[in-house]
Amino acid sequence: MTSALETHQLTKTFGGLAAVGRLDLVVPEHRIASVIGPNGAGKTTVFNCVTGFYPVDSGDILFYGRSILGLAPDQITYLGIARTFQNIRLFANMTAIENILVGEHPRLRSMWFEAVFRTPRMRQEERGAVAEANRLLLFVGLGGMGDELARNLPYGAQRRLELARALASQPRLLLLDEPTAGMNPNETREMMRFIQRLRDELGITILLIEHDMRVVMGISEQVTVLDYGLKIAEGTTLEIQHNPRVIEAYLGRGASSGLGEANRVAA
Amino acid sequence: MMPERLRMALITGATFAVLLVFLVLIGFQVTAAELIGGLLGNGRTTAISGLSGLGLNMLGFFALIGLWAGMSAARRRTPDLWSHALEDAALAGGLAGAVLGLLAYLVARLSAAGVHMSAYLAQLVPSTIALFTLGLPAIRIAVLYFALIALSALLGAVLARGVVRSSWRRTLNDRLGRPLGRSVEMGNRAIRKVTANRVSRYGLYGVLVLLALLLPQRIGPFWNYTLGTVGIYVLLGLGLNVVVGLAGLLDLGYVAFFAIGAYTVALLTAPQPHHLLWSFWVALPIGIGVAALAGVLLGIPVLRLRGDYLAIVTLGFGEILGTLTRSDALVTFTGGPMGVKEVAGPTLFGRAFSSGADYLYLMAIGAVVIIFITMRLQNSRVGRAWVAMREDETVARAMGINTLVQKLLAFGIGAAFAGLGGVFFASRNQFTGPDDFTLMVSINVLCLVIVGGMGNMPGVIAGALVLKGLPEVLRQLEDYRLVAFGALLVVMMVVRPEGILPSRRRRLEVHAGESLPEPEKAGSQSPERATGDDVRA
Repeated sequence: MTSALETHQLTKTFGGLAAVGRLDLVVPEHRIASVIGPNGAGKTTVFNCVTGFYPVDSGDILFYGRSILGLAPDQITYLGIARTFQNIRLFANMTAIENILVGEHPRLRSMWFEAVFRTPRMRQEERGAVAEANRLLLFVGLGGMGDELARNLPYGAQRRLELARALASQPRLLLLDEPTAGMNPNETREMMRFIQRLRDELGITILLIEHDMRVVMGISEQVTVLDYGLKIAEGTTLEIQHNPRVIEAYLGRGASSGLGEANRVAA
Repeated sequence: MMPERLRMALITGATFAVLLVFLVLIGFQVTAAELIGGLLGNGRTTAISGLSGLGLNMLGFFALIGLWAGMSAARRRTPDLWSHALEDAALAGGLAGAVLGLLAYLVARLSAAGVHMSAYLAQLVPSTIALFTLGLPAIRIAVLYFALIALSALLGAVLARGVVRSSWRRTLNDRLGRPLGRSVEMGNRAIRKVTANRVSRYGLYGVLVLLALLLPQRIGPFWNYTLGTVGIYVLLGLGLNVVVGLAGLLDLGYVAFFAIGAYTVALLTAPQPHHLLWSFWVALPIGIGVAALAGVLLGIPVLRLRGDYLAIVTLGFGEILGTLTRSDALVTFTGGPMGVKEVAGPTLFGRAFSSGADYLYLMAIGAVVIIFITMRLQNSRVGRAWVAMREDETVARAMGINTLVQKLLAFGIGAAFAGLGGVFFASRNQFTGPDDFTLMVSINVLCLVIVGGMGNMPGVIAGALVLKGLPEVLRQLEDYRLVAFGALLVVMMVVRPEGILPSRRRRLEVHAGESLPEPEKAGSQSPERATGDDVRA
């Protein structure tokens, strides 16, 4: 099985503090994988390293076997990695459709002079881009809201629009940073189904950071647990739920003996 | 305890007293009197001849301020009584008048005692004092000013309570306001109707073009020259609008590209210092190209910086270029502080462009080309990338936008537009020199973009008309231009921070958090039906 993403001994320090230390992470293709851990465990730092926002101190990152170390964020997106953000970061003063069109940017080819002269190629490409954006809007359930400004959309819709924007670049690997944060149980269930659909229907590999254990345990096929930047456990949801080190990280020393209690929390 | 109402009236009076003293100390009443004289056509009577001409105008000016004081003192309160309005106005006007009178008394006494006040307050020169005191004895001038301000304030109260707030106003509104509003609405609808139809839209454009063709022939050289100056700034503003308004890059050294365009055409066409004597039409694209190239070359090192840092670096670049053109080291190359003379103008079919009208045509064509290019870019992948970058650069990069390339593009295009402005500028003046390219130019252009409405081209044009056109027309205000300019900027940013004619996006941005306008009805969606399956198709 090919791996979509691999990190080898990935290390990132901030002024002596190791945010991520010697992380080995393998995400096989078409898998839904989760990274969990207490606050400040270095989860988002991993995302920022993979997407090129942080320079890596040492180690390597492979995307489908190719090292993406040292590439700029836009080049990495271009290769096929898209992401969403923990706190929604839409282009608030652009409409929903414009947001998605920006997401399509790396797929489009027309240059500025083609835009000035409106060459047939450019016009055709634009038509295709708008049609695709509308398709994506429907896909995330925002059909008919294309002309709304992103800031005017309700919270749940903004999360979905951010997903649509990430999908617009037609990624092979999607990094979701707490996709259900702030959602009510209904919306959360809907989002879980949606993430599964992304994998099942579009064949996208998914790596997600999540705090909501129902989501993590509900949809991930592989869970990696970080604590203080170090990987303390990895495995299936079942394995993780019974791992004493995980329970210790979440609940503190002493609690690891009370497995039942921890299970209740984890479930 | 004094009633709240009277306290407010006194505060109003004190405010106007401060205003009056300030105006007198900066000598503004003389300028105002001359201005009124210019408007009424009686301005050129001598300044020191008692109550005639200028003196009368000055009293009129003070009376207008008194009127204003009275009107604002007699604000609507409950209950809205005549007696209250008059009382408030009398109090405010009396206070302001007393202060102005006291000032006049002091000035007259000191002047009579032979004190040279201009040593301390530059504006209080003898001629100004003579006008201010009208040559009257101290007591009489003090009483005169007190009475003038107090009476005009009462008149202001009568106006405010009697006309503005009474049934007169409703009548006036019915007779005038409503039909006016209706006709504006009708005009808007007509314009929409005309622009909706392809044929009539081009007809409208035709009429506008015809107007643009005929106007410069009609309005005379002064207006042509003034509009030409405005035109240069329109070109500059439209260029900076791409950089600041669309791509969100704060460039304070924009004048550099203007200078590069101007110097390129000057050095290529002038007999000194290089004696190349190229044709204007050859130099024009070269000037634009060199400016664009300079924009890109400057951009490569500096565009990694964001926000404030970028502003400082570009500011420095503009200053370096100014210093270089002024320096002796480059005298043989750029003509040094003397500048370059006899810059060639364009000729077309053997006819030389010489009048302001000719350049007006040229600039109008240039502006139309710039507007066309900008509009096309705005509605494309490039324009969306710019706006995304402005909204959130980090996320824009995560969306696969190569922000460095997009910034360079914006910088280069903006610089090219400035270069075009510079080419026209040098060629129209037949001269270019370092003094034409000061920091003030950059600041002016930035101001007109902000005041006009960032990111919106009609706004930029309106901004250029207001900020460059008005000062040209109000030549009498020369000394106060910068004061007025600053005041306008302050007022504008407080009252209407989004600019005169803002883009929709900008308006929303500025008024974020305030009650939003009814979101526009979601427009027609494309009828394609799609399921998840064909998303990747």
